[in-house]
Amino acid sequence: MVAPRALDIYESFDRFASGKKVREDTWDYVTIPTNALAMKEKYNINFDNKIIPEDDDLADRLFLAGVEMLACTGFYNTNLGRALSVSEEEILEGIKKAPKKIKMGRGNERVACKARKGNSTRKPIIQGGPTGAPVSEEIFPNMMQSYAQEAAVDTLVSGILNTVSGRPATTNTPWEIKATLAEIRYVREACSMVGRPGMGI
Amino acid sequence: MVMIAGWSTADDIIMMEQMPIFGGYSGGVEETAICDVATMLASFALFDCDIHLDGPIHIRWGTTTTRETLQIAAHAAAALDRNTDLLLANQYYTLAGPCTEMCLLEVATQAITDTASGRELISGSASSKGVVKDKTTGMEARMMGEAAAAAAGMEIPEVNRILDNLVSSYRDYYLKPPAGKRFQDCYDVKEIRPTDEYLGVYDKALKTILKCGIYI
Repeated sequence: MVAPRALDIYESFDRFASGKKVREDTWDYVTIPTNALAMKEKYNINFDNKIIPEDDDLADRLFLAGVEMLACTGFYNTNLGRALSVSEEEILEGIKKAPKKIKMGRGNERVACKARKGNSTRKPIIQGGPTGAPVSEEIFPNMMQSYAQEAAVDTLVSGILNTVSGRPATTNTPWEIKATLAEIRYVREACSMVGRPGMGI
Repeated sequence: MVMIAGWSTADDIIMMEQMPIFGGYSGGVEETAICDVATMLASFALFDCDIHLDGPIHIRWGTTTTRETLQIAAHAAAALDRNTDLLLANQYYTLAGPCTEMCLLEVATQAITDTASGRELISGSASSKGVVKDKTTGMEARMMGEAAAAAAGMEIPEVNRILDNLVSSYRDYYLKPPAGKRFQDCYDVKEIRPTDEYLGVYDKALKTILKCGIYI
């Protein structure tokens, strides 16, 4: 049966709240490995020694296995200790609403991230940065500038400011907020310093 | 989920990150790839995601650049690329640190893999596994971008041969990877300029990559 509509974050929350209670260790040690192995066997998923698949049918079977894995297993919410249920039809309807193209940045630095097909001659968007690695406060803008100045880089991803005003940016404290806002300022400053103020961050 | 509701209502672009662990609860490469595909689908179908940030990671080495984690990432990306128009990204965690040839080879290998398997955005690099303070620099991102540009449009069998050569060039060093240097030790921090040493290391990596079959 077709799905009445795609889920959104609100309906997903309601489904978690009314979902089946499951122990986290049962989910981790039994549900996931059991169902993943069952999908592997059902769809005959066996990678050969190739890093990138050369067998299109294998890639298609892997897609079907992933859809059924999500539909037959659901998704676990560790805070609630409950698992959400979603049908295959709802999954397929849900991915239809996802964008095929997004734009990042502004002005001369605006880039479009569009769906590629296979190994298109159009390269992917290059997002440069420490990707969440810890960075000293003293060199943070300089390090971000080292990414922003690279011609190959289209957008930036930030690092983690190790301290702010010399204090650790501890989670769930006001210092965390101060550090987050400082990070954004430093990254913007790095973009401006290399003449790319509109870079997506 | 509370934050997603806010971002979604504000019409922000939502990038959802998830890093499947190879060697963890899921099992082998195939089972981990199945879980990776399922979780990427969930990000879009359940959580209002606009672009997904992947990052299959090796439980033993803590990196995304091993043969197994590259294989998981590439198969999962190809499966979704062939059957959807979803926007897929991947992130980079290398074993070696900046200003080392191994670090640049790891980055190039993953950039070639991600590009050829159809991903739309690549994000990195967190060198030294992303856990050592100040051990990331812009030069690794340069390699990421240049390797991706060189690999775009190549035939997959040829790419696979190159990847075999590249992984072989660094896999013997997993037990004792070069630690590399901090940003402030391989850049002139004031001028934001890589040292001559790092430029030399970069040139050496380009020569090794050429020997592996691709000109960057």
